[in-house]
Amino acid sequence: MSPDLKPKKWAGALRAVTLGAGSRRPLAVGGGSGLPLHTFEAAFPHRPVLALEIADVDPPRWVESVRQPWEGVLGRPAEAARRAVERFGADLLLVNLMGTHPDRGNRSPEQAAADVCAVLEAVHVPLMVKGPGAGKKQNEVLARVAENCRGEGLALHSATNEDYKTLAAIAVAYGHVLVAESPIDVNIAKQLNILLADANVDLNRVLIDPLTGGLGYGLEYTYSVMERIRLAALGGDAMLNCPIVCLEGEEAWKAKEATVSAGKEPNWGGQRERGIHWEVATAMALIEAGAEVLVLRHPEALARIRKQLDSWFSETPGGAPCR
Amino acid sequence: MPLTGLQIFKLLPNTNCKKCGYPTCLTFAMKLAAGKESLEKCPDASPESKAALGAASAPPIRRVTIGRGERALTVGEETVFFRHEKTFVRRPGLFQTFDPARLAAVERDVRLDRWRGIRIERAGETFQVDGIAVVETPGAPQAAVDAALAAAGRGFPVAILAATLPGAAAVAERVKEDRPLLVPPAGADLEGYAGLAVRLGIPLVVGAPDLRSLADRAREAEREGVSDILLEPPGADPRALHHSLTAIRRGALDRIHPGLGHPVFLRVGAGEIEKAVLGITKFASLLALADSGGETWLPLWTLRQNIYTDPQKPLQMDPGLYAIGEPNDRSPLLVTSNFSLTYFIVSTEAEATGVACHLAVVDAEGLSVLTAWSAGKFSGDRVAQALRQMKAADRVSHRTVIIPGYVPAISGELEDALGDGWRVLVGPQEASDIAPFFRDVWEPLGRELEAKP
Repeated sequence: MSPDLKPKKWAGALRAVTLGAGSRRPLAVGGGSGLPLHTFEAAFPHRPVLALEIADVDPPRWVESVRQPWEGVLGRPAEAARRAVERFGADLLLVNLMGTHPDRGNRSPEQAAADVCAVLEAVHVPLMVKGPGAGKKQNEVLARVAENCRGEGLALHSATNEDYKTLAAIAVAYGHVLVAESPIDVNIAKQLNILLADANVDLNRVLIDPLTGGLGYGLEYTYSVMERIRLAALGGDAMLNCPIVCLEGEEAWKAKEATVSAGKEPNWGGQRERGIHWEVATAMALIEAGAEVLVLRHPEALARIRKQLDSWFSETPGGAPCR
Repeated sequence: MPLTGLQIFKLLPNTNCKKCGYPTCLTFAMKLAAGKESLEKCPDASPESKAALGAASAPPIRRVTIGRGERALTVGEETVFFRHEKTFVRRPGLFQTFDPARLAAVERDVRLDRWRGIRIERAGETFQVDGIAVVETPGAPQAAVDAALAAAGRGFPVAILAATLPGAAAVAERVKEDRPLLVPPAGADLEGYAGLAVRLGIPLVVGAPDLRSLADRAREAEREGVSDILLEPPGADPRALHHSLTAIRRGALDRIHPGLGHPVFLRVGAGEIEKAVLGITKFASLLALADSGGETWLPLWTLRQNIYTDPQKPLQMDPGLYAIGEPNDRSPLLVTSNFSLTYFIVSTEAEATGVACHLAVVDAEGLSVLTAWSAGKFSGDRVAQALRQMKAADRVSHRTVIIPGYVPAISGELEDALGDGWRVLVGPQEASDIAPFFRDVWEPLGRELEAKP
């Protein structure tokens, strides 16, 4: 008897989606024809890519250990972007326009577009752009950004089941990628992609955001939903085979376990190291479950995850060279 | 691989004697295949048939117990590759690697006592150090013996990370009653360690440089009489380790080689959190961790809790009144469902506001607020009853309850059911809007209430 596994062959594969166009260095993600990280039996034309998160305003909820690497550039998106790419080696960036939220600064669509343009000037990696959350303001903000930055292949975050028509139209009109967000639910993820396809969105221009539960706060739900989406995609479901993006850093750093000081919880150990471990553990589990784009927050977490990925993908194009 | 009804039928005498209670052997075979009957009911089944059927119905991954008493660790008997297929059953043990070679007895005991005392409560579970992996160092034979005795004496299951066969034997002899796990060094000759494990009746870790020899050596250890085996997967880098872990689980479930049907043991060196994450998510059953301390334990313990939660059961919180910060009788009172994901999101967001508050978690059978409401589990009457049971009226003086923004429909019914001057405030739909809600709605209201006592 031989313990050698027969390679698993699947009917389907992930779509490959290219992020960035125009003045961007394009970055393709997805396209794999096997379970995540199963490079021993399946082909993966592109490696998972790692983003860092840049905010338009000084983020009010970031704890000191997360702020520290960004000292001097918080709330200055162009400078932060340069640091994220040049010093921290991000493959792409998420510009979080949190300051446009009516309760968090209420910055105008014009200001938002100016911020994104400034980041486009500063770096050449592809951008994801996150609005203030589903609703009228988000549509206004992302519409203006999409128009002013036409042809740059931005990934617009995010269309939802309840509110997708405006974003679908502007993504198509101005040549951007659309992130389709569903609430940890395979059926809704699929339904939303069907709606987007009906709205003339090319699914080769769509990423799925399955909604990330951070470690200890619903990670297991996201983990299993991602595995199920991947299985459906590999089984040939053309409505679920878009690459997955996880907004991991944001969720990991919401946990009190990542942020509470050792003074307050002596058994929990040092906060700085614990917080980064928390983010790394969340990120690593999500990569195993099939994240193709991972948005991190702490640069050290990014460096550690990149080192892990190099073990599988050091010869695979996409993503920054290993350093 | 379980047998089909027809395969089982071929193993039966085909006499249709009805002694099993079924009209034909084929009917009985179908019941067996469905797991609804036992072969015991067929008095004429041959020993060969019994053996064949027994082997086919044995769990694909053996069960192994390490240690004894209430802290004993039992692993194995997993049946799936993906947790959503059913569930992962036996959560892996996270052992603390402990090298006592250069430690004075006092310092050794201080560390063991500290590890023994660590308790972290999280979401209804108590985390603790599951066991001690004692490092045996050549030249310091007594240190490992004493450390193993001290660990076992504190109730810890013990693993022996051996360097030499005589050294390991000296340790194992002394704690053999406590079923220690014997872990030979990399590249060790199997025979000596297998002999020791057989002689003392203790579990053994089998390692090898590649999968094929791993499976063969596990088989060999079994033939030599080792009854409880853990496999140490080859893999010098993450990719190779992931491949072995995956192949062992898949190979065991597909029964491609009997040597793969054992739980997995993994050593995790200092600064290797990522390796531990890979082990916990990808099927390892026992990890010996070099790092210690909350910053290492808390993420890993939490990850294990997440991955080994039964995905078929919605994770539920115990209903009750939870304190966010240190609330007093003027603090806001929020109500939500006991679906744990809802609870986690609401409590995290409420905590982030910096405003202390009371969070009433109502038994909604583990459904989210909107789903529970549509199913009649989050009605005004039900919420009112829950608030009375948790004596909310004794905890706040303002008699105001904030309900989720998704269920404004229950506010009238809830106000009526509570009576007694209670009023209902409709809060935000999304937990992330609790902060602005506190600022724009609750605080002005609080000032108003303060103004007219």
